[in-house]
Amino acid sequence: MSAARPNDLAQALSRTIVGQDRVIEALLLALLANGHVLLEGPPGLAKTLACRALAAALDGEFKRIQFTPDLLPSDIVGTRIFDQRESAFATVLGPIFANVVLADEINRAPAKVQSALLEAMQERQVTIGPQSYALPDPFVVMATMNPLDSEGTYALPIAQMDRFLMKVNVGYPSREEELTILDRFAIADTQPARAVASLDDVRAWRAQAHDVHLDAKVKRYIVDLVTKTRAAGGVEVSAPSGDSLRVAELIDYGASPRATLALAFLSRGRALLAGRDFALPDDVRAIAPHALGHRVGFNYRLAAEGVLADAAIDAMIEAVPAP
Amino acid sequence: MARFAVVVTVLALAAAFDGSAARAQALARLSVESFDLASDTQSPKADQPFHLIVTLRVRERVAQIENLNLPMLAQLELLGDERETTAGPRGTLYRETVTVVAHAPGTVAVAPATLQAIDARDNKPKQWFTNGVTLGVAGDTTRTLRAAGGAVLSAVLWLAGIAFVAALVALLVRRRGKRPPVIERPAASAPVETPQPVVARTHKQQALDALAVLRAERTRAAAVMVRAAIWRMVGASDGETLADVLRTRACADSVTRELVIALERSAFTYDADLPAAIEDACGSLERYAESAA
Repeated sequence: MSAARPNDLAQALSRTIVGQDRVIEALLLALLANGHVLLEGPPGLAKTLACRALAAALDGEFKRIQFTPDLLPSDIVGTRIFDQRESAFATVLGPIFANVVLADEINRAPAKVQSALLEAMQERQVTIGPQSYALPDPFVVMATMNPLDSEGTYALPIAQMDRFLMKVNVGYPSREEELTILDRFAIADTQPARAVASLDDVRAWRAQAHDVHLDAKVKRYIVDLVTKTRAAGGVEVSAPSGDSLRVAELIDYGASPRATLALAFLSRGRALLAGRDFALPDDVRAIAPHALGHRVGFNYRLAAEGVLADAAIDAMIEAVPAP
Repeated sequence: MARFAVVVTVLALAAAFDGSAARAQALARLSVESFDLASDTQSPKADQPFHLIVTLRVRERVAQIENLNLPMLAQLELLGDERETTAGPRGTLYRETVTVVAHAPGTVAVAPATLQAIDARDNKPKQWFTNGVTLGVAGDTTRTLRAAGGAVLSAVLWLAGIAFVAALVALLVRRRGKRPPVIERPAASAPVETPQPVVARTHKQQALDALAVLRAERTRAAAVMVRAAIWRMVGASDGETLADVLRTRACADSVTRELVIALERSAFTYDADLPAAIEDACGSLERYAESAA
């Protein structure tokens, strides 16, 4: 198999998953930018199906880890067991050794388990006993969080969230999409598309994405967007009460330089998906809510005033004129 | 000279652009209804003054307009600047009449004027651009003729004057003793200078202006300036992205869509692709000018 394009993969996923274009785009961008995705949304919105379909379309390996309060780090990365026949320790690799890993309900496991996963995501290797093991390439983690049922959960600290390249809020499908889901899945179980691209193709796309041109004006726009989250003077957002609130007073801390890099990587990836070898301000603005939203620390006033974090992020993005 | 002028105007625009963020706090809140630049003649003569007129209509009643920047007039000499602000129940009309003169024949490209303000419709700081104006300056034939035949004309005038005085004296001598009735002549009224109508630039003319600028200066800066002018022409304002512009009604037809996409490419593509991108943009401008009314 050769000369597959990123859009071939997108089309293959679209044939399996109805709607959820943002999730599909996020998965592809994570692949192209060599990052990981955090999905927040209620259950039953095809998050697992999307991961499984991606792995199948890439002919890669898929693993799912259900995060629970009694999960241990060794349940994720692997462990050493004593082999009585050989009278020696043998290493059993954990489910993280896959190309596409679904970390389901990541906030249901305690902090040390979350840390084990997030360190592996960052370092792309795990150490079991005396030996380090490299994770496969490509390696994409899709973590999910359920916003509806927060009892007994361990919220991810901002420092941990920062490691995700992007966070996407998964919404319910439209009426038409739901009818299509009914037609597609009610009669027979739809099988994901098989191997439309190879893992080598992904590595080649990643190299192409790296070469996508980022004009100086676009770079300045990216930096302006990120710095706006740290100094949001003059930006206002409407509260449900009708009052206008200063966004700067709702923020504890803004996005880190990692957000700047993420915006650049994602913009390049989006340009490549669109068939361009140069990025546009449009690319930056389209992915900015997903790259910045989980990296800004809001204070108690946001919740007290009933303002949605997304609305405050959108207001800051809107306040920065595109070049 | 034209190349230098384009560079200067581009630099002036860039300088105005960079300063916009810093001044955002002090910007007025305005609903801009129209913002145009026109000349009272499309073909001025060398060394003969003419007027450039910037007209701005806003919905609000304001005493004065601030942060309106005229383009750098590198090929023209500035002789005067007159501003008039008329506030009424339907808003404010601001008109700035700039008296200029060109000293050399040729094509003069006047870059768009800019206005920075908070858009009252969405409370965002924005920069508006007028259309640009391209003028063809003709040589002053009157001056040449005056120089060549000045002496002859002067002699003829002297002779005619002497003949008129002699005839008048002869007439007075012949009618001595008769007092002619006094006829009161009405005072001659001062000639009223009717204001020249503001020439509205059509989309076709604006596209041709943009094409002239882009062909004269095939640089990134010129492409960015032309992109801003065309976006303004299709109703988009500064600070919006391509997706916003493509959603406007003006971009419903394929020719306009092709044009804004081509200009976006020329503004942001990599250097090696820039000549091809500008050529593509020029082609799109030509097609737009052909299709525009």
